[in-house]
Amino acid sequence: MSDTTIKDFEAAIAELEAVVKKLEDGDLPLEESLRLYERGVHLSRFCHARLEEAERRIEILNERGHLQPAPAGLTAEDDSQTRR
Amino acid sequence: MSLFDLPFEEPLDPDHNRPDSAQGKPSDSAQGKPPASPNKTKPRAPERRVHTVSELTARIRTLLEEELFEIWVEGELSNCKVWNTGHLYFTLKDQGAQIKGVMFRSALRLLKFTPKDGLRVVARGRVSVYDPKGDYQIICEHLEPGGLGALQLAYDQLKQRLATEGLFDSRRKRALPALPRKIGVVTSLDGAAIRDIIKVLRRRYANAHVVIRPVRVQGEGAALDIARGLSAIAKVKGVDVVIVGRGGGSIEDLWAFNEEVAVRAIAGCPVPIISAVGHETDVTIADFVADLRAPTPSAAAEMVVARKDEFVSRIDRLEVRLRGAINARRHRLESRLRALDARSGIASARGRLAMRARDAGELTHELRRAVRASLSTRERRYQTLRLALETFDLRRRLAGLRTRLVAGDGRLASVVDRRRHALDARLGAAVARLESLSPLGVLARGYAVCWNADRTKVIRDASSVAPGDRVTVTVERGELACEVKGRV
Repeated sequence: MSDTTIKDFEAAIAELEAVVKKLEDGDLPLEESLRLYERGVHLSRFCHARLEEAERRIEILNERGHLQPAPAGLTAEDDSQTRR
Repeated sequence: MSLFDLPFEEPLDPDHNRPDSAQGKPSDSAQGKPPASPNKTKPRAPERRVHTVSELTARIRTLLEEELFEIWVEGELSNCKVWNTGHLYFTLKDQGAQIKGVMFRSALRLLKFTPKDGLRVVARGRVSVYDPKGDYQIICEHLEPGGLGALQLAYDQLKQRLATEGLFDSRRKRALPALPRKIGVVTSLDGAAIRDIIKVLRRRYANAHVVIRPVRVQGEGAALDIARGLSAIAKVKGVDVVIVGRGGGSIEDLWAFNEEVAVRAIAGCPVPIISAVGHETDVTIADFVADLRAPTPSAAAEMVVARKDEFVSRIDRLEVRLRGAINARRHRLESRLRALDARSGIASARGRLAMRARDAGELTHELRRAVRASLSTRERRYQTLRLALETFDLRRRLAGLRTRLVAGDGRLASVVDRRRHALDARLGAAVARLESLSPLGVLARGYAVCWNADRTKVIRDASSVAPGDRVTVTVERGELACEVKGRV
């Protein structure tokens, strides 16, 4: 998710915390409350997306500096356990 | 063998020229025939006396056993090996020499520590010769640790030096990334460590992206290999945390992680690094310079992904609070509206009524919009959650159980539907209630308000006006100027 208003995951969490606190604390004007709420939902969506972003992949970095898939033997045992 | 031959030649030859010293003793002991005759020939001019090998060896043994029957010797243990007979064989060495040794099972049993390679010890025993091989060795009756072995010394020296440079400083320690994009692992592909790491990552962080740099982790050149592997993996785009380590082993096996080249590479790693060498009790210098020390490779993997679990629940808690806060805000608004309605009776002045009516209308509209906006964001939120649950939660928690996933999805959808319907119904009810309370609503239902002529007072009592009086009547849309004709 590319969102220029959010620096990174850590910043998003911090801002989400601030938003929630502000909403909980102040009796803000309705418009402001709704704006904050929208922002909060947006931030939490960003965080969840970021949590799921990484790919499930295991690679080997070889001597020549190239990435190649890990040999099946290295992960086979684990895979069979998952299926069970 | 050459090492063993050498010492024999030097002391023995001069002995032939010094009859009184060592020469006399073997004959006194009268152990065998061979020593007797050369002794007698000695005072005269050197005469060619040919020994058999056995004779010579026997003489040597006698010499050594007589002279060195109760000695203490300090040195560093190496090549320690306990044979299946239970006897310990070892080599004792210092910088210039070495001597083989044996410690029989009966003596070995009494030791409080385990003799290990690299250990500096003081041994008590006697020197003897093993005739069939021509080896001399020390038969050790007792061993005690004496000072530090070379490995220990090297360890202490490097540790001291790096500490002086400030490499163990806690201010150097970096925090692990909140959420690693790619996890670099520098270890051997052969050991258990890499399998343990992969297993834990897969279990706790199904979509982990792992990049492994295989290196040798023990033996000659391992430390350099580790250092090169670290610099290579840190260059892979996206790698933002590195685990370096290996499974358990002897102190020699783990030694690469105490070597300067590897330790400095760990200290200089551009991304946060976790050391995971051996077992809980094994502490290497690598552990002191890494940003974090894991007791085992599995634990290192847990340190990386525990962060993710933490964040998922933290965000979930924040979402609950976010929804709670906006709902509370809406409830406050609703009750304010109700209070407003209750206070502003139809009996108020016309201007005030109109104003209130407008207020109420606006607020009703605003509330409606607010509730709808909240509803639609909630709906989107539920969609997101459903997606998240499909792609993450269910897969992670019920990995592989496709049937349950499908069932769970169905249930989830119906929960979302039910929640949405309930919210729709609540919105409808809230709006209807507000409209019924609103002054405009009353007029809309066909009621009218009758005012006195100057519109300062609502006519509540028919006797307060007389035939011929002028009154004004407000209906839903517009007003009527009327004249009272009479009372009914």
